[in-house]
Amino acid sequence: MKISDQIIMCLQNLFRRKVRTALTVFGVIIGTCAIVVMVSLGVGMQASQDAMLAEMGDLTMITINNYSGRKENGDKLILDDAALHQIQQMKHVDVVTPFYEPNTWRAFTLYGGNGKRYKSELYTVVGVYPEALEKMGFKLNKGAFLSENQGDTIEILGGYYFPYDFQDTRKKRNNTVYYWNTKEDGSMPDPFIDIMKENKLVLQINNAKENGKTIDMKVKGVGILEYDSQNYQTGYGIFVSVKQLKALEEKYNKLNNIKASEDEKSNYTTAKVKVTDMKYVEEVQAAIDEMGYDTYSMENIRKPMQEQARKQQMTLGGLGAISLFVAALSITNTMVMSIYERTREIGVMKVLGCMVGNIRSVFLMEAGVIGFMGGVIGIIFSYIISYIINLVGNGLTGGFSGGMSMGGGVYMDMGMGMGGGMAQTSIIPWWLALGALVFATLIGLISGYSPANRAVKISALEAIKNE
Amino acid sequence: MPCKTGLNAPLGRRENLETIIKVENLRKVYKIGTEKVIALGCVNLEIHKGEICCILGTSGSGKSTLLNMLAGLEKPTKGHIYIGKHDIPKLNEKQLAKLRQKQIGVVFQSYNLLPALTAQENVGLPLMFRGVSKAKRNKAAKEMLVHVGLGKRMKHKPTQMSGGQQQRVGIARAFVCKPQIVFADEPTGNLDTKTTKEVMDIMVGICRQYQMTLVLVTHDPSIAQYADRIVTLIDGAIVSDVENQSIAEPVYQEGAKAPAEGEQPAGEAQREAVDSAEQESKPEENQNPDTEHNGGVEE
Repeated sequence: MKISDQIIMCLQNLFRRKVRTALTVFGVIIGTCAIVVMVSLGVGMQASQDAMLAEMGDLTMITINNYSGRKENGDKLILDDAALHQIQQMKHVDVVTPFYEPNTWRAFTLYGGNGKRYKSELYTVVGVYPEALEKMGFKLNKGAFLSENQGDTIEILGGYYFPYDFQDTRKKRNNTVYYWNTKEDGSMPDPFIDIMKENKLVLQINNAKENGKTIDMKVKGVGILEYDSQNYQTGYGIFVSVKQLKALEEKYNKLNNIKASEDEKSNYTTAKVKVTDMKYVEEVQAAIDEMGYDTYSMENIRKPMQEQARKQQMTLGGLGAISLFVAALSITNTMVMSIYERTREIGVMKVLGCMVGNIRSVFLMEAGVIGFMGGVIGIIFSYIISYIINLVGNGLTGGFSGGMSMGGGVYMDMGMGMGGGMAQTSIIPWWLALGALVFATLIGLISGYSPANRAVKISALEAIKNE
Repeated sequence: MPCKTGLNAPLGRRENLETIIKVENLRKVYKIGTEKVIALGCVNLEIHKGEICCILGTSGSGKSTLLNMLAGLEKPTKGHIYIGKHDIPKLNEKQLAKLRQKQIGVVFQSYNLLPALTAQENVGLPLMFRGVSKAKRNKAAKEMLVHVGLGKRMKHKPTQMSGGQQQRVGIARAFVCKPQIVFADEPTGNLDTKTTKEVMDIMVGICRQYQMTLVLVTHDPSIAQYADRIVTLIDGAIVSDVENQSIAEPVYQEGAKAPAEGEQPAGEAQREAVDSAEQESKPEENQNPDTEHNGGVEE
């Protein structure tokens, strides 16, 4: 028997019992909808979580802290070039850089313009490996990144708002340009100086004693970074080579008669590690922890959240699965009834030379088609329901976090970070739709399996018997 | 060990014919509770190619059991049934299905057409099971339906047809594959006298035309007159196996009675029926039985 004939026969049989087929398919539709919509809520929840976390920080970034210079057991621990080199050698580590931020307040001041007219108290100076910034994902607004080999001139890379940090020392009033005082066309106002063109930039190493000796260092501005909310330093801070920063610090200490230990001189206190992929973060972080450092990454938050989300998804999916299970029972029932009715027909088919395998596959196909049709229509309905949920959900909560609706307490306070917008409560990704379709068809085939075998076992004698 | 048979083949002429069905020491016992019911005691039978063989018997004589076993629908308790080289009881479902596709056609008493299909689709079914394409089987089915006189009813569903028409569809279906053997189980059991004659004429006519072997099971002696050979069963044993002398003219004798069990030898009852049939037959329709029969053998 040809496959095409089997398919036609199967469809004819289903069509003959329209109402019963429709009702059974309807059961599968409900089951599929239940599973898809439930899981889509879970997926939506997870997506809003991830979006939330991404907003809070780069998911592939690990931050290492070593303020104390001691391990938990009191042993000496230094985060220096050697240690960073060791981390760089680890598997899945993309790039490593110190993120050294000494307390520079009143230590350094940056001047520009004629006669040090404009001044900026350097609150935030970050020492990094010059070549690492780009790889870490920092974006330039204009200019260039720090060059790798620098001479005596100190190269600085300013944060996005850094140019507005200068004050005009000759004025008592209006001595600051605020970036929010936009021009008529909406663009930002011009700062007092353009650090990339200014050739009179000077970094002054201050002396704590009044009228004490100070040192001026020549400075060159190489570029301006884009502002990145994950790193506040890209706002009003500046980035310099960590080597130059250490040298500046040493000069300051000398000037002010501060004695620093060798360990203090080489310790970076903070460093950042970028991992090649989110999924390796946990592994790399564990390895760095092993070295004795304090580490922090979004994984610390993500993991428990993910675990909880997964549990909720399972619960939701399980609820959906119950209704699909009921649908499976109704498929079995329909098939058993249908075979019972067609006993004679099956017998006749056998006597006319129909292979038992063909009879089985026709019946299996019928059950499979019921599952498949239910799956297809169910998925279409699911998309509609999902659309309505998102419409109503966003309308009611004003685009609040997806976690809210299902009562995940954790997401309440986290959800605030999301703000209003495109948060979707229910998301149906392609794999869910496809998976549901395959699952529904499979359910049909499984429910049809035992009835189909029953059909095969019907004796051909049944057909001969006269009523 | 061969059991004691009822009768041997009475005519020498038959030995020249090719045997197509051979039944050896066939025995069938049903167990009903603790009691054993012997449906077939010990049957030996040879049916030849091109023969129209009638198995005659009352209800309970075991004739349907015999047919069921010949068609492979039931397994015997003991014995062998050979169709060609195949020992039917030893075949599995798949081999049986193949054999049915290639060599066997069946006509049922209650027609057993699939109600959802049209006459043409019903006739095409056996071809469909063989994997013949739709165009080809529609063509074959159409030819067959025209042959049985239903050329204008091809698109009708069984519920839209009379009993006689339905049985003609059933016959077309049994013959559409041009099988070597056709089994017919009380093919006219549900039909009135006039239709019975039509249906029998068609069936026997096609068999003769294609030199097919027809095994006809009936309780009705007048139906038996269409056969070349009449095998009578009583209580699961063959009591007579005779060449039908009056096959010249297939005739349906109205009101003919089945031989009552144990009343008289079955052969005599048949002869009586034959005689009365011959008296009623019209001379111009009379044909030489030998000519027709031998014509079938030569091919």
